[in-house]
Amino acid sequence: MRWWRFVIASEVRKILAFRADFWVTFIGQTCIQIFIARSLWLAIFEASGKTVMEGYTIGTMTLYYLIVPIGSKMLTGENMGFLSREIYDGTFNRYLLYPLSFFHYKTITFLTYSAFYGLQLAIAFIGYQLLFGQLTVNEFIHLSYGLFFFMIASYTYCNISLFIELISIWADNIWSLMVMARFLCFFFGGAYIPLSFFPGPLQSVINFTPFPYLISLPINAMMGKLHFNEMILGLLILLGWSVIFSWLSRRLWNKGQYAYSGVGI
Amino acid sequence: MLEVKNLTKSFTTFRKEPGLKGSLKALFRREKVIKNALKSVSFKIDQGEIVGLIGANGAGKTTLVKILAGIVHPSSGEATVLGFKPWERDNEYRRQMSLIMGQKAQVWWDLPALDSFLLLKEIYQIEDSLYKNNIEFLADTLMIKDQLKTQVRKLSLGERMKIELMAALLHRPKVIFLDEPTIGLDISAQKAVREFMRNYQSEFKPITILTSHYMEDIKELCPRIMIIKEGQFVYDGALSKVQKMMGDEKRLTVTTKEKTFKLNVPRSELGEKTSELFTSNEILDLNIHDPSIEDIIESIMNYGIKTS
Repeated sequence: MRWWRFVIASEVRKILAFRADFWVTFIGQTCIQIFIARSLWLAIFEASGKTVMEGYTIGTMTLYYLIVPIGSKMLTGENMGFLSREIYDGTFNRYLLYPLSFFHYKTITFLTYSAFYGLQLAIAFIGYQLLFGQLTVNEFIHLSYGLFFFMIASYTYCNISLFIELISIWADNIWSLMVMARFLCFFFGGAYIPLSFFPGPLQSVINFTPFPYLISLPINAMMGKLHFNEMILGLLILLGWSVIFSWLSRRLWNKGQYAYSGVGI
Repeated sequence: MLEVKNLTKSFTTFRKEPGLKGSLKALFRREKVIKNALKSVSFKIDQGEIVGLIGANGAGKTTLVKILAGIVHPSSGEATVLGFKPWERDNEYRRQMSLIMGQKAQVWWDLPALDSFLLLKEIYQIEDSLYKNNIEFLADTLMIKDQLKTQVRKLSLGERMKIELMAALLHRPKVIFLDEPTIGLDISAQKAVREFMRNYQSEFKPITILTSHYMEDIKELCPRIMIIKEGQFVYDGALSKVQKMMGDEKRLTVTTKEKTFKLNVPRSELGEKTSELFTSNEILDLNIHDPSIEDIIESIMNYGIKTS
């Protein structure tokens, strides 16, 4: 089973093959998002006359919005359509020809991208703490927790994505479905507004979905806002959702392989 | 040994009327169409044999190859290749089989070929020494050594096809499915691929099924051919016999002021037919020759085999 190491190495080579994209994503996108979020929240804090809102100061809010864009990329790993696009154009056939499980292959490539964005997140987090905060052992511990939870969340998101993307065996174009699923994950995950700003009853309801554990939980872990018990519970819930979606996507493939025609462009 | 019994495959597709009206209508209701791509096909191929699979577009060639490669499930019927049911996708079977599709890339475009080969080495669990020997042998015979470190997407079509061939044969498969391996290649690249396949076949003796629209591929590589028409075999036998099947016919290529057309005429009626042509048309040119294999196969694909 050494092949997975070569898959990781190949994916890293692919990522590094596009240097411009790497730097634009890392520096450009992150800086712009932080600038917009900080300006917006500064205005909100000023208008409200408060220094703390729902447990966030302007400093922690900035950190939150530093983590969100890169953390979201880490969560969503490989690009949207990583499987459905291959089913559509026929390159998916290769996974049926090679003596391996395409579920394993795709999960590994997905997590390789996540780990890569994790590295970006770590650099950005350390940079932020050096410039605006403090960098003690505690920050490194929080960073490790955050990265660990983002990786587990990414694995869960990968299983959810595999399930959705396999639908393209029947419906050629599922782009809108994928966009909708991503929006739900981001909105109810706390990527746009921290979940503590949501009404109480809504917060209770969305706790029954996987969404808050995908983004909000890892961010809170990275910001040192979680107790050990909350982390253990969050971990178990994430793994539980992974098992459910992994089972569902395998069931879907068992049906789908009879409908799969192997056609492409 | 490859054995197929009564293999059938039907696809469900949807038909849409052309134009905006048709598109709007299709939003609510689509016409379902069942296409029978294969209709009870049966045949056997022995180890070391190379068979040409010929048919018009949409005749069912690629569907048959995809089923035997394990990509697609059949609707009914049986097939065993090296003792395995292909669509069960046993890893042991997949380690001994290869599919090369001329129109679809299977190696990774953003990586140099050697990186893809290293990955395939691990996927197929190829031993170091065998891997090294195979890379050298394949790169030398395909004359592609200098391109192995270039990103695949930056190579020419012919070079990419050679890389595909290398990738597919790296694990020295016992069964090879070649689907249009020379499509889009220039004449010298076609020749190189054919030459390579001939040498590979004689050295390693795999079961090979070759589909191609280029008759040169078939003539040079396949002693046996199977002709498929609308999902059914209309001929399965030696290529040499095909020519004899129409040995009593001559092909006339007639050029008049208006057009050029071709006719198959029995030898016994040749005199009568040519004089008839000269009296009823203003003939500019008349060429009488034996039908080529291409002519015969085209005739079989269009009209079937004459029983008389």
